[in-house]
Amino acid sequence: MNEIVENLSGRRAQPTSERPDDRRRGRGATQPPKLRSRFRILDVAFQALRGLTSRKLRTALTALGISIGIASLISIQGITEANQADARAEIDALGSDFLFITAGTGITEEAELLSYAPDMLATHIDALEYVAALYPVDARARRNELIPEVQTGGVTVSAITSSGLDLLEPVNGSVAFGRFHDATSVEVPGVVLGSLAAERLGIHHLVGHPTINISGHRFSVIGVLNEFETINTDLNRTVIIGLPVAETLFDTVDTPSAIYAQVPAEQLDDVRDRIPAQANPAAPGEVGVSRPTEALEIREVIDETFARILQALALIVLAVGGIGIANIMVISVIERRGEIGLRRSLGATRKHIASQFILESTMLSLLGGALGVATGVAVVVGYAQFKGFEVILPWDWMSIGVAAAFVLGALAGLYPAWRASRLDPAEAVRPAT
Amino acid sequence: MGTAVLELRQVTKSYPGSPPIEVLKGIDLTIEEGELVAIVGPSGSGKSTLLNMMGALDRPTSGEVLIDDTVVSGLGDRALSGVRGHRLGYVFQQFHLLAGLSATENVATGLLYQGASGRERKAQARDALERVGLGHRLEQKPGKLSGGERQRVAIARALLGDPAIVLADEPTGNLDSQTTEEIVELFLELNRQGSTIVMITHDRELALSMPRVVEILDGALRVGEAST
Repeated sequence: MNEIVENLSGRRAQPTSERPDDRRRGRGATQPPKLRSRFRILDVAFQALRGLTSRKLRTALTALGISIGIASLISIQGITEANQADARAEIDALGSDFLFITAGTGITEEAELLSYAPDMLATHIDALEYVAALYPVDARARRNELIPEVQTGGVTVSAITSSGLDLLEPVNGSVAFGRFHDATSVEVPGVVLGSLAAERLGIHHLVGHPTINISGHRFSVIGVLNEFETINTDLNRTVIIGLPVAETLFDTVDTPSAIYAQVPAEQLDDVRDRIPAQANPAAPGEVGVSRPTEALEIREVIDETFARILQALALIVLAVGGIGIANIMVISVIERRGEIGLRRSLGATRKHIASQFILESTMLSLLGGALGVATGVAVVVGYAQFKGFEVILPWDWMSIGVAAAFVLGALAGLYPAWRASRLDPAEAVRPAT
Repeated sequence: MGTAVLELRQVTKSYPGSPPIEVLKGIDLTIEEGELVAIVGPSGSGKSTLLNMMGALDRPTSGEVLIDDTVVSGLGDRALSGVRGHRLGYVFQQFHLLAGLSATENVATGLLYQGASGRERKAQARDALERVGLGHRLEQKPGKLSGGERQRVAIARALLGDPAIVLADEPTGNLDSQTTEEIVELFLELNRQGSTIVMITHDRELALSMPRVVEILDGALRVGEAST
């Protein structure tokens, strides 16, 4: 008898109250002996894990829903952030202070920039830096006289003056090889080619002093520009000659088609309003002043909006995944009736049963979450490498994903766990009828 | 007279309906320490319900169930679970082994809800498997075991934690006659070693090989305490 008593009170939950004298009272007392059921937290976790690993395919398929949702959340965010970072880097490189001034819509006759507009702007608006104008030239460029003129491949001819030699500054351009115009080259038949124009005209280097033919006149190529990737892409197809030469050879008039200027960012709004009156006093309303980086900024906003819409969809996928988990857990509870009955007979309380199923559901969801994060990160890294961007991991969304999986799993497990805990042990241990 | 480990006092159980179905009609039964009792009765006689009462798996409609002289029939879920875990061992007809676990791990679940450490559970599980003659099958999963071996694993699990009483519900119901004999022999041996065992069966012949037989018919005991 003593041995039984020892066994009985030896497993009391409060070992502090355990004194040899106390033990003897365990049996025969009027109060029920304190036989506590205990389910160690590590054991709960292990049992829940066993529940998952013993049904691998089901576990994998159920986790898939969650992982797709979370992978979408993260990859959408990651790709958007990568794009935005790239756009921002581009904006920074271009300078948000670059203005592009055009003649305008051309509805009225006054819709042209004054010939002295560049000088007016440079003189009257101190804040403007690097004012450079391009003048349209009515001429055709080709490799040589043997190539028909129609095969100009969309190459346009423009001219600059000696006061517009800073053109590359506001447009943020650079020379691939050769050099840009200087005060001398604008007076002679020399030409600088945009990257696409150079390709079309077959100029790949300056070895042997290549020339091209512009409407019957030979121009020696003095330089080729690097490609403009985002804005000012028009310049890629342009060949630039000096205005003095153009006036002589092609009767070009000194009315600029476009003026490029740079303004310190903080004076931008002020300067912007003053430009039309200076560029075309007769019809200031016709003058178009744009900030090309604005387009990039708008694109960024659109990207952001689009990403949010996609993420809302991903959240729906996630919710559906959560419902999938709840569904499978309900089925699991029905199937594992016998197991639940057994556990109850082994001393599991309702809470123990419930905690096992909630934990199982949570772990299942977290497994999906981990898989989703891994997939999402893989997509983000893959995209960055494909695009040649720097890898930016959306840590906040990765944490949101894991947290969402955790909460979703716990929520999905609530109802099945409740059902499992309410099973009558006597019923559950019998074969289903 | 020995020490009563389990006592039923005027236990009735009825299930709602019109009229209510009375499955147990005032059962008085005492199981003493060290007994091996067979409860025999045809199907529908209420023997499973009786075992549920004895095993604190279900509550009686009226009457009292005492385990270790303590009335358990009125306890709440936590206390009742504690009694089940610490003082009662169960053997079921369909074994209820967990498919993914080895024999040792299955037996170790017998101590899962008593807060024992994993190491202690494993050690005790191995000992219990030795006791039921499965020392050579410790790492087998249930799928690789014969029906008799599975039931031995289940018996080892029921023995874990040294329960006051082991309740077996048709433990040989899924076994052939040869294996049935072996299991009965095992129960007898365990009883000789000191375990208190109650076994439910519909097999009269099998019941008669037990030291004490209690017969139940239509929810009432026919041959009761008088025989001991």
